[in-house]
Amino acid sequence: MGKPMNRRECLRALGVSGLAGGLGLALSRPAPGQDVGESSGFQSSVIAGNKVRQNAGHAILVDGKVIQPRRELPILHRTDVLVVGGGPAGVVAAIAAKRAGADVTLVERYGHFGGLWSGGLVLLVIGHIVKGGKQVCQGIGEEIMRRLDKIDGAIIDRRPGVNPTADAEAVKYVMLEMVEEAGIDVFLHCWGVDAIVDGNAVRGAVFESKSGRQAILAEVAVDATGDGDLFAAAGAGFEHRSHNVGLVSRIGNLDRLDKARAQAGPKPRRLGLHTPVAGVNWVNLTGPEVDGLDVRTLTRMEMNHRKFIWRNIQNTRKMPGYEQVYLVETAPQLGVRITRVLNGLSRVRLSDLKAATRFADVVGVGGSSNGTHGEWQIPYGALVPTKVDNILAAGRCISTDMGMADLVRLIPNCFVTGHAAGVAAALAVQDGCCPRDVDVPRMQKILKQQEAYLG
Amino acid sequence: MSNSAESSERYGAMQGEDRHLIRWLVRGVCLIVSAILVLSAANGWSAVVPALSPFLAAASLLATGTVHALIWVALPVACMVLLRPRWFCRWICPLGLCADGVSYLGRRWGRRPMKSTQLGQWIVWLTLGGACLGLPLLLWLDPLALFTSLFRLAGPRSASAAWIGIIPVSIALLLNLVWPQAWCGRICPLGALQNLLSRLAKCLLRIVRRGDSFRPGSDGTGPLARRAVLGVMAGAASAWVVRSPRAWAAHPLRPPGALEEPELLGVCVRCGNCVRACPTAIIEPDLGGHGLASLLTPVLHFQDGYCREDCTACTRVCPSGALSRLSVREKPHMRIGLPRVDMNVCLLAEDRECAECSRWCPYGAIRYVFSEIEYTLIPWIDPEKCTGCGACEVACPTSPKKAIVVVPHSV
Repeated sequence: MGKPMNRRECLRALGVSGLAGGLGLALSRPAPGQDVGESSGFQSSVIAGNKVRQNAGHAILVDGKVIQPRRELPILHRTDVLVVGGGPAGVVAAIAAKRAGADVTLVERYGHFGGLWSGGLVLLVIGHIVKGGKQVCQGIGEEIMRRLDKIDGAIIDRRPGVNPTADAEAVKYVMLEMVEEAGIDVFLHCWGVDAIVDGNAVRGAVFESKSGRQAILAEVAVDATGDGDLFAAAGAGFEHRSHNVGLVSRIGNLDRLDKARAQAGPKPRRLGLHTPVAGVNWVNLTGPEVDGLDVRTLTRMEMNHRKFIWRNIQNTRKMPGYEQVYLVETAPQLGVRITRVLNGLSRVRLSDLKAATRFADVVGVGGSSNGTHGEWQIPYGALVPTKVDNILAAGRCISTDMGMADLVRLIPNCFVTGHAAGVAAALAVQDGCCPRDVDVPRMQKILKQQEAYLG
Repeated sequence: MSNSAESSERYGAMQGEDRHLIRWLVRGVCLIVSAILVLSAANGWSAVVPALSPFLAAASLLATGTVHALIWVALPVACMVLLRPRWFCRWICPLGLCADGVSYLGRRWGRRPMKSTQLGQWIVWLTLGGACLGLPLLLWLDPLALFTSLFRLAGPRSASAAWIGIIPVSIALLLNLVWPQAWCGRICPLGALQNLLSRLAKCLLRIVRRGDSFRPGSDGTGPLARRAVLGVMAGAASAWVVRSPRAWAAHPLRPPGALEEPELLGVCVRCGNCVRACPTAIIEPDLGGHGLASLLTPVLHFQDGYCREDCTACTRVCPSGALSRLSVREKPHMRIGLPRVDMNVCLLAEDRECAECSRWCPYGAIRYVFSEIEYTLIPWIDPEKCTGCGACEVACPTSPKKAIVVVPHSV
């Protein structure tokens, strides 16, 4: 542009171009009472009385230390069961609790449901089958899969004894649909940062969002954060573990290879596994074993992995026949596998898998990555913290030993533990008791009514 | 006619029919009892039957240089044999009864006994000579070991291996059909050892009674001594040839506590006890995949099972010390082999979520290490902790080729 424009000239220019570009749209919905020449085509106004962020409690410096002063937090919502985390475990927990008769609120850090399944692009569903090909993940998890079945292009390889692969967007949509149908209160873009604790009991959680720091009060909370953020904040005992942190990506145009040249030349590694989208594969990345709770480490992982994925795809494109292959996307969420693991009343143990132990308080049955093991039962105690009340763990952060963590964290097993936690939380609200005192046979009966498989 | 046959005839004439009947009854009972013992491989009794043989005990003692508990089982038998020649053959030996049965059939079909020299003596001298160098070459011809090997057929698996496993004992019995009493009278090393021992005893007794000094050459001991020296020397020489640094490197995986190669090939009597005792069915007789010398020795396969950390069954049923007795506490320190990972097959190379080998390792010997160059995980096996039990190989989900395979240490 030749000479500098002032703001008004710029707006006018934009407005004219907007008109020229979208005349039909502009004509059908003219902004009432506004000078078209003065408008950008969008509407915006000042919101009266800025209630959102009152900086009364901003941090201050005292003797060089950053201090957060005491302050009252606005109460955003009150609910029976508060589920923190909208991944496979959280979504299933919320639906299960709602169906069991509780008033449920589901809070998610990102803008969609599905957690690492959708946001982490871990599209392959493994862990629902046991030796012999029997499927042990039933209940609401299986219901999600059946809904995906009905949508064209949402899921492939849905056969007995096979690991299906879902489409990330279909997962986000189906989960959203089910959460809405159930009538669950939802807060997205809400990061659970603290627990509200009264004595020994959790009374809700504190969230950070664009609305600032707010509280949701609840009778019982379900920690489906994956990292156990909530139970850790509430003072429950846990084990802090390192595990591999990776980043999944999707690559495209695999249906447009120059087949003759591709077959003659060397085959590139890391072409990934197929997805419901033709020509698109998802490519896993295991990554090094690090502390998934350390922000510097997470930053380093994110940056290193992005660089690697980009360079790797460039190398792939240099190979004969693979010139058209391109990077569709890297996952919005870093693939953190295991961080905090609850110290529960009981524990999922490898020795119990080997011995095929049956528990009186079984709330679900887990499978394995390739149907290589038999059934292993998940005891209710693995979801319940040893000392803190009114909170249950679901998903990959439940109480498990080293050998079982890699099975516990698989998507279908998160469905199973989420289902159990949801029903248990609703029952605790109904009976006005702590989750640890829930009537286990009744809980098992409700789980079975909701089509869960308990062995 | 051999000495034993003559003495047996005299014996029969003197004692009459009653004594004869009692002897057959005793032999029958012995056969049944030993069959029951051999069949109870699971609780370790099956080693007792072959361990009764003084031939096996002597060779094992010389070859391994260790006095394991089972050697004492043979001591009373050895003492009795010193007093009464061929007493064991006539009253106890279960294979002897089988062989007599077959000889009876042979005679009925008009076969005549063999006219040849005593092979048994030579087998004894060769084996004991070899044993001095750790390689009792023909120890597997021990009749009680052969008898035990008959029960390979009772093993739960691999019928073809079982049938091949009973070929030596079948040949021994067939010889009796063609030339009645050929096995017991001419070939059986335990029988020959009994003859030698009783002659030695007689000789010693005479020296003690008369106060004579031992003079080689008197009373026909000359040829005996010559044969002994010749046989032992020949045995030692052949053992030395076998032991020479030939390529023994390519030996297969052996059960825990197995002797080093090639000693194992000599000391192992191919009785099949370990094969039957193994609860996870990972021990199989070698059917010629590793050379003639290794034929029918125990080899390990980890297709369906692994060598359990809480099990020492095979070492408790080995009569010859080819597998040294282990306790469960010693087991983590025994090395069967070491796993090798083929990263062209391993799922981790493709960044698949797999932790099976590490999960199933009973000794926590497998970790996954991130390689910055490959930008992926690579299984790393701690050689200090790993015993080569094969749990990882069984757990590995890749097929048809396993990404992790246990190979012998020397490979």
